Amino acid sequence: MSTTISPKNAVQVEASAEVKAVHQQMLRQQRLNRAATYAVAILLVLWILVPIYLIASMAFTTPAAVRAYPKGVLPFIPFSFETMNFFLQSEGIIPGVINSIIVAIITLVLSTLIAAPAGYATSRFLFPGRDFYRLSVLAVRAFPIVVLSIPLAVVFINLGMYDSVYSLALMHTALALPTTILVIGSVFASIPFELEEAAQVFGCTPFEAFRHVVLPLVLPGIAAAAVFTFVMSWNEVFAASILTVQNRTLPAQVLAVLGQSSEPYQFAGAFFMMIPALIFIFFIRRYLFNMWGQVSK
Amino acid sequence: MNEEKQSTQKKRKKINWAPYWLILPSLIYLALFFIWPMFRGLGLAVYNDEAALSLQTEPSRDAATAGTLPQGTQVEILDQQGNLIPPDEAGQANVITEVWYQISAEDADGNTVEGWVSESRIRVREENEAGAPTAGSVRTRIGAGDTLTEVYSEPNENAEVAGQLEARAEVAITDQSILEIWYQVRGEDRNQTVEGWAQSRYIQVFGETNTGRIDRGNTGQFTTEYLSKMVNDRFFWPATITTFLLMILIIPVQFVLAIVMALVIQARLKGNSLFLYVFTIPLGISELAVGILWFSIFTQSGFLNSFLQTTGLINTPITFLSADTRYWIIIAIWLAEVWRATSIVMVIVVSGLQAISDEVLEAAELFGASLWQRVRHVILPMLKPSLQVALILRTILALQVFAVVIALSGGDVVTVLANETYRQYSEFRNANVAAAYAGLILLISMGSAVIYLRMIRSQEEMAA
Amino acid sequence: MAEIKVENAVKTFGDFVAVDNVSLTIHDQEFMVLLGPSGCGKTTLLRAIAGLGMVDSGRISIGGRDVTYLPPRSRNISMVFQSYAIFPHMKVYDNVAFGLRMRKVDKNDIDRRVRRASELLHIENMLDRYPSKMSGGQRQRVAVARAIAMQAGVLLMDEPLSNLDALLRLEMRAELKRLLAEIDVTTIYVTHDQIEALSMGDRIAVMRNGIIQQCDHPTKVYDLPSNQFVGGFIGNPPMNFMQGQVQRHNGSVKVAIGDFALEPANLYQPILRSYDGQPIVIGIRAENMETLNKPADDALKVQVQVVEPLGSQNLLTVKIGDDTVKVSTHPTFDVTPNSDVWLRFPADKIRWIDREKGQVLYPA
Repeated sequence: MSTTISPKNAVQVEASAEVKAVHQQMLRQQRLNRAATYAVAILLVLWILVPIYLIASMAFTTPAAVRAYPKGVLPFIPFSFETMNFFLQSEGIIPGVINSIIVAIITLVLSTLIAAPAGYATSRFLFPGRDFYRLSVLAVRAFPIVVLSIPLAVVFINLGMYDSVYSLALMHTALALPTTILVIGSVFASIPFELEEAAQVFGCTPFEAFRHVVLPLVLPGIAAAAVFTFVMSWNEVFAASILTVQNRTLPAQVLAVLGQSSEPYQFAGAFFMMIPALIFIFFIRRYLFNMWGQVSK
Repeated sequence: MNEEKQSTQKKRKKINWAPYWLILPSLIYLALFFIWPMFRGLGLAVYNDEAALSLQTEPSRDAATAGTLPQGTQVEILDQQGNLIPPDEAGQANVITEVWYQISAEDADGNTVEGWVSESRIRVREENEAGAPTAGSVRTRIGAGDTLTEVYSEPNENAEVAGQLEARAEVAITDQSILEIWYQVRGEDRNQTVEGWAQSRYIQVFGETNTGRIDRGNTGQFTTEYLSKMVNDRFFWPATITTFLLMILIIPVQFVLAIVMALVIQARLKGNSLFLYVFTIPLGISELAVGILWFSIFTQSGFLNSFLQTTGLINTPITFLSADTRYWIIIAIWLAEVWRATSIVMVIVVSGLQAISDEVLEAAELFGASLWQRVRHVILPMLKPSLQVALILRTILALQVFAVVIALSGGDVVTVLANETYRQYSEFRNANVAAAYAGLILLISMGSAVIYLRMIRSQEEMAA
Repeated sequence: MAEIKVENAVKTFGDFVAVDNVSLTIHDQEFMVLLGPSGCGKTTLLRAIAGLGMVDSGRISIGGRDVTYLPPRSRNISMVFQSYAIFPHMKVYDNVAFGLRMRKVDKNDIDRRVRRASELLHIENMLDRYPSKMSGGQRQRVAVARAIAMQAGVLLMDEPLSNLDALLRLEMRAELKRLLAEIDVTTIYVTHDQIEALSMGDRIAVMRNGIIQQCDHPTKVYDLPSNQFVGGFIGNPPMNFMQGQVQRHNGSVKVAIGDFALEPANLYQPILRSYDGQPIVIGIRAENMETLNKPADDALKVQVQVVEPLGSQNLLTVKIGDDTVKVSTHPTFDVTPNSDVWLRFPADKIRWIDREKGQVLYPA
């Protein structure tokens, strides 16, 4: 690299040979370290991607290929939508998907509506009890909330709300709420309050300032939190299995018939359930650090 | 600082209620769906709403208590009596009722008799649109010496007799009352005989005999019944041991792997954002899907056997997931959980690493710390809060492992606490024992959080 | 003992040349300031000396030992960072002791040196505290204490005062100067604040675009800048520059500013002769011009545009040709905007600058 620069001085003073040798060795070591890091990175990537590839290859092939032994890997596995079709046409799958989506959307809307004001309050106001509130929310998150499905099921039975996607959505909202509050709080905290004040100085009412300045800035972060909530609700299987009987969500349905179902059904189902994760995590990966990073502060 | 003081003083003068209004919905929601179910759950586990039946000295609600008998006690039925019940209590399980009609009719002497007669003595002949009887006639007593039917002043056979009617006398029905049968029962509790009256809804009568059993109580009692049922369940100890075994196996490996992943991310290689994406994918994948995924690898005709056979390492497929090879199931669950839940630890560690400024690391280097010393004295201590949080979160998540276990073992051969919670509820329909399991999980998670915080604090004290 | 020698150091980041063939010698126990605008390469040079970023080519030696590619810990140096880089998880004592512990110094020795360093910086009663509870100024003291406790031959400071507020900076500046006079250490101090540089440095190396423009004592750098950049960068207000035209009259050289003719000192006559008929830049500092309120033969009439009373002086802004010139006057000098004043240019205070090269012309 140094050759591209034209030194002003004709006489070049270089480091002594001994030191240069040390330098060379250091550079070699650095290159070696870097190569090793790459190797580790690629191994880790394979560790994650190979299983996903394997299940995907099973989801998109013929049932015969799924049952075959020994299984090959691509290109020996014929590509086909047969397994996936078979899964989607199985009993209870389409209603399950619809239920899952309904539950996830209600959860998403409800948790965002409840968490957004709370997140705004914790990031914008210094009020007595604020620290206690934040700490309580943190404590609630570090709690195995799903096991509360048992008492909730009993309550829902008494209230005649059992086995409904709506009551399941209420449970899922409780699951998602602590995280959503913290994430939205950190999203608001990242927008300096001066911006709102500036907007007010330039003639906005506090609400207009929020609407025109803060909202556009926080929307991506809130959307990311909402997407994460959606994925969480879509994946959740324990509460869904406890709280629904007839109106099962997709994971609850797959779990309920797991013992009696065929391998093509299971494998296609597993991959189908993964799809939202593959898509959504890509879009919100930047915000994941917001979500979990600020826990420790 | 001064400014801060001033502003807090200003705030104290005039409380700003806005933040409280803003957090109120979340507080209400968490109270309704977190705190209350938690107490309700603990209640379900240790408190039996129907543990005992208190018997009354008289067949009346207001009567004094004669004593209590626990649920399930065999009793002797000595006597029975009908008693008015409010309409909203009718229709409950085990409620044995009698209906009495208020009638007016003329007796044999031509006097008008008004009063109450049991439904069994009247044949209803006319009903209004609502289906309520309006008129009828007195039934004939078959084979009885006395053919007259008593009319009582109140719907109660012990009441004063208002008159007597002949068979087939025409009656106008003006009203009806529903009576619940009260039984006078005698039973034994801890060698003490208790005798008293109880409503039929609490008593299960065996056929035509005069014996019965206390079906459910009307007073709650703390009980260890559900806890002992849980502990004595044949799956309890295997589930507990497996849960802890998995925690011990999974968590250390996850932390090492997550720190390696985080350091790879921090090395800022080319393609870093791709690595980051791939490393975080499992974070969003359903537990059940991961279980099935690893099932597809370990099942008899799965990828692992296929690979081994294709490469000629084995001749016949190995049966990994069977009751005889429990350790393989544990290994499969272990791999699946490490695969699935390392991402979250990685994300926490990466954000912790990012919070350490480059200058601090450079300062450590400049003041003579080698790479290992930097990790040991600077990076790990500064990462400690993040690791602490990750550890607590991971432990609690490890206690919830459930679908992976079902997918890989069918839920019988290898089981965990969360799975037993589910089984007790769904299979055995025993919400109380399920709540006991849930309570145990809550207890273990709180316990481990406390232990971790203690451990970390005592380390700090030792260092100081 | 700890003479630092930088020879032909080159450091590039991609296409950007941060340090361009720099050679610099810092004598033992000297206080050398690297001064320049942001992006001039001063921090890169310091980091190369520290070993936090290796040079692409060239040589760096400390105390006669070639350290060009040695890691920082083998260089016998210590450093104060811009953001202090105090370890937040360690108490003040452990922060100060950190380097010594890494070097496996004897425990009693560590204690003695930590206490001595903290006494020097008046933080001896804070040793048990965590840095998170301390103010910026206190953290700064911890950072300096940590650096001097090392008793390394070389102390590097990367804009150490830039994160302090103005008053604290003033206080710390004097204290650092006193402190560094007390201990035997060769110091390199990076700053973009020219007042800091002038007041603290034994010598100042002014950098721009990766090249050292001038390296000299503060008074020399101020009075005799090597080029237009140095003159314009140092001083508040910076040196004034005006366009002039060299003209020859009967053997002597004069420089015309419009109709007015300046008479260069005899010393400069030979150099200026070669610029006959060419434009030249005249440089003069605000405090070196004499201001008169009535005409004089050797004074240039100008109109005052702005008057800024600064307490110890009044600063006038005047226009000479197309150039804006700042003139400093005694506060008693009575002047209002739009009034006329006459400026006299003492010949020995004028610096003549080559318009193309920007070099200040000095007699051989």
